[in-house]
Amino acid sequence: MSLTKETFSQISPSEFFYRNRDLAGFSNPTRSLYTSVREFVENALDACDQKKILPDIHLSIKAVDPEQPDPKPYILSVKDNGPGIEPKHVPLAFGTVLYGSKFGLKQARGMFGLGATMAILYGQITTNKPVIVKSCADGKTQDEFVMLLDIQKNKPVIQKHTTKEASKTGLSVSIVLEGDYSKAGTKIRDYVSQTSLITPYASIIFEDPSGEKFHFPRIVKEMPSPPTIIKPHPHGIDVETIRRMIVDTHYQIPIVDNNTITKVRSELGLQKKNLNSKGILERAQKKWSNLSRPVRTVVAMMSFLNLDFDGLSKIRIDDLDVANKKLTYWNFGESKSHVVELDSESPYYKQLANTVQGDTLHAFLTKRFQRVGPTTADKFCEFAKFKSEKRIGSMTNEELVKLADALQKFEEFLSPDPSCLAPLGEEPLSKGIMKFFNPEFASVIQRSASAYSGFPFVVEMGVAYGGDIPPAGLKVYRFANRIPLLYDEGSDVVLKIVNEMDWSRYKIKGDPPFVIVSHICSTRIPYKTVGKENVADRPEIERELKNALQYLARKLAVHMSRQGMADMAKKRANLYSKYIPLIAQFVTELSANKKEPNYKQLIKKGSELEEQQI
Amino acid sequence: MKNNKSKTTKTAEARKEKLLSILKNQGLTIYNDLENGKFPQFSIPSRSVSNIVYDKKLRQYILGNSSAVRSARNMSQLRSYTQLSWLAFFVNRLVKEGKSSTLRDIYYSSQAFEIDFEDQPESDNIIVDLEALLSFPREDFHIFPEERSSVFGDLTIEYTVPGYEGKKVNLSDHPDGYLIGPSLSSAELIDTSAELVIAIEKGGLFTRFVEEKVHKKFKAIIVDTAGQAPRSTRGLLKRLNTELGLPVVILADGDVYGEHIAMVIKSGSANAAHLRELTVPDAKWLGVWATDIEKYKLPTIPMTESDIKRIYDLQKDPRYQEGNWKTQLEVFLKLKRKAELEAFSKYGLTNITDKYLPEKLELSKSL
Repeated sequence: MSLTKETFSQISPSEFFYRNRDLAGFSNPTRSLYTSVREFVENALDACDQKKILPDIHLSIKAVDPEQPDPKPYILSVKDNGPGIEPKHVPLAFGTVLYGSKFGLKQARGMFGLGATMAILYGQITTNKPVIVKSCADGKTQDEFVMLLDIQKNKPVIQKHTTKEASKTGLSVSIVLEGDYSKAGTKIRDYVSQTSLITPYASIIFEDPSGEKFHFPRIVKEMPSPPTIIKPHPHGIDVETIRRMIVDTHYQIPIVDNNTITKVRSELGLQKKNLNSKGILERAQKKWSNLSRPVRTVVAMMSFLNLDFDGLSKIRIDDLDVANKKLTYWNFGESKSHVVELDSESPYYKQLANTVQGDTLHAFLTKRFQRVGPTTADKFCEFAKFKSEKRIGSMTNEELVKLADALQKFEEFLSPDPSCLAPLGEEPLSKGIMKFFNPEFASVIQRSASAYSGFPFVVEMGVAYGGDIPPAGLKVYRFANRIPLLYDEGSDVVLKIVNEMDWSRYKIKGDPPFVIVSHICSTRIPYKTVGKENVADRPEIERELKNALQYLARKLAVHMSRQGMADMAKKRANLYSKYIPLIAQFVTELSANKKEPNYKQLIKKGSELEEQQI
Repeated sequence: MKNNKSKTTKTAEARKEKLLSILKNQGLTIYNDLENGKFPQFSIPSRSVSNIVYDKKLRQYILGNSSAVRSARNMSQLRSYTQLSWLAFFVNRLVKEGKSSTLRDIYYSSQAFEIDFEDQPESDNIIVDLEALLSFPREDFHIFPEERSSVFGDLTIEYTVPGYEGKKVNLSDHPDGYLIGPSLSSAELIDTSAELVIAIEKGGLFTRFVEEKVHKKFKAIIVDTAGQAPRSTRGLLKRLNTELGLPVVILADGDVYGEHIAMVIKSGSANAAHLRELTVPDAKWLGVWATDIEKYKLPTIPMTESDIKRIYDLQKDPRYQEGNWKTQLEVFLKLKRKAELEAFSKYGLTNITDKYLPEKLELSKSL
């Protein structure tokens, strides 16, 4: 993340997000309250998931002054029974933007761990009140921090730190923020209830500002297996991604500044002692296996340049041309550029060459990608017409494009490893749907993993029909990485797929009592906006959604025709006994008779007819 | 014309009695079937397109010979059979009690009797079934559409609706005319000094005609059809023609729709092919003809695409295959322009009554 550090050094991340808070879903008091609830609840669930703890979440929203009209300050508290955070990490975790453990490639609800800090930041700017974090990580002591955020410096300012005894691990975060519950209330209640649908293994209690408690009990006791952190899949990796991976893989020639020299000295145990070039090399030989890579590289250069530490401080390395075995450097003392021939026989040559050129393509493929073994790597090299021992650092731009292209086109890679994904699973999803909607019919499917742009994803979907579902037309519940998506429904890919379906083909018409639950899991959900409310349409995702939906629609159609036949039989059974008496009633008055005709015989005939036809 | 008077008295009453007796007979037949353990059935003339034919003798569309049986024995027909028998029962009540209703009323009334019409189109359809079954227009069932038009002129009528029985009114008493509603439709036509009925397409012209005393100058009863004449208006025109022996002339806009308004009054519409009480075969279309547009130098407006499409459609209709009807369509198609009745106002507000109408009436005698 060295790049990030450089990019952000101009402006602190807190400052950046403060200025761009609209992007992160903090555009107004209504939206901000809702987003804050989401961020804290999702962090709590993520924390529990990672440690396989069945989550007990307690969410409460209280008005500071209930009499005041909205928007007004609210106290938002979320408490969980997760692993807690070690006290030393708490200030940084909650007081710094861009601090978090979520940068690896695995599925989690939150993306960067930005949201919670954003909420804290937002609370602080609107009410100037500190955040209160209570954390117990060891099950013995609870640390309570009261702190503010220094926006310019992106640093926490601890106002108070106390400890007390505790018996359970867990984390509780409480902030004061300006919100508008009268407007956000519906969304928040929807959010909580839908979260309970997609997290059937969690127990969630929500206490709203009026003091009313909504309890969503745990429906299943088994937790889905937690996701693992994995490497990217070669399919769909683009040139830029490869370039970044290569930068990570091979090591640049260290900048020879005082810091570097100090480091070399300390690793060689020569903090105070000056040796000549030869002496330094001898020393280095002895300690070689303990030296860090940058130090080895510096030592290698010293061997070719015949320099001691003094000399080293007077030069700048300009270019290392491995192909032509030349090293170019600038001597400050002489204000002159020098070129040195590299002896390829020297043991130090390999050190330098590897440093600049990085791994071989073969090693790069097997080490940096998931599901690529030596055999696949060989096959790929043949397919892409690259030598497998080619150093990736020596590849030209054209070759990188060719490589990226080949990575996408090669069909023998195994499908992406879904172990980094944490779909809910068919059984818990089905149980959740049954409990939540109490339908007459439900069916679920989990598609096998697929990938878009190198990110694996899994689509889970369920449909429910009839029962307690009101006949108010098709309703779609959208989830991504176990988060309910409530806003911006119109532009979502799931809605697009649902609307494209010809439902009449599946015997669905009118305003059916019908819900669809769609869950997309991915290491990276392609959200359209930072607000994370709608998923963009990627062809790979569209295809999976469509297949899942068609499968379920077919199941439903079978049910519908069965149901239709059962209904028909039921209706028929009563047809004659329903209508004949009515006809008798009408014609008695019409024909000016006093007494109704005796139609019993006809009803009997009718039921005989019915039996014949069914 | 006054010699018709005695003959026409109580016509409305007689129609009502006839309808009630037919209803009762239907009721008796079904009653006996039920009593004898036999599934009752109706035989309804088929209203499918293939069974609608033009009868040159009657000069209107009629239903052919094919008919459909609706039986209580058939499971898929049982429901609509019950609906139809309910409607007969309900109409019987309406007519006996002298109450009127609308198509929408019928849809809602059914719900009190556990008759589940899915929507109004379904109940409307059953009403047409009953019309076809009994060969009576729904106005005789006291079921009226929402649309209404008006009539003005020296015509004395006698109400038969409850509360007004025997009350007489002269239709020239109110300058805005009288609404052709349920009570007027069911009234007896008693007396008139008129010698002519002028049906006119537009309310504005109707008012002008009253102001210009057309009813006196031409001894006419003026009827405003308010566009395509509703069935109650066509029913009234028919009665004025047959019961009082008055010739009917029609003035409509100078376009294809105007021409067809005249045609529907004269020979009915395909939609009402099952009914024979709504046409005035001897009615004459006075104008505005396509040829009048040039003759009277009327200001015109261009036809729209749908106007032109309508001309092509009508050219396929058997009634437009000859004579003036055919000629005028062809001229319209050639001109591709149309003129409204108001176009005469270019030459003064009274031009239409002072000049055009007398000339056309004179001409119509030779038609």
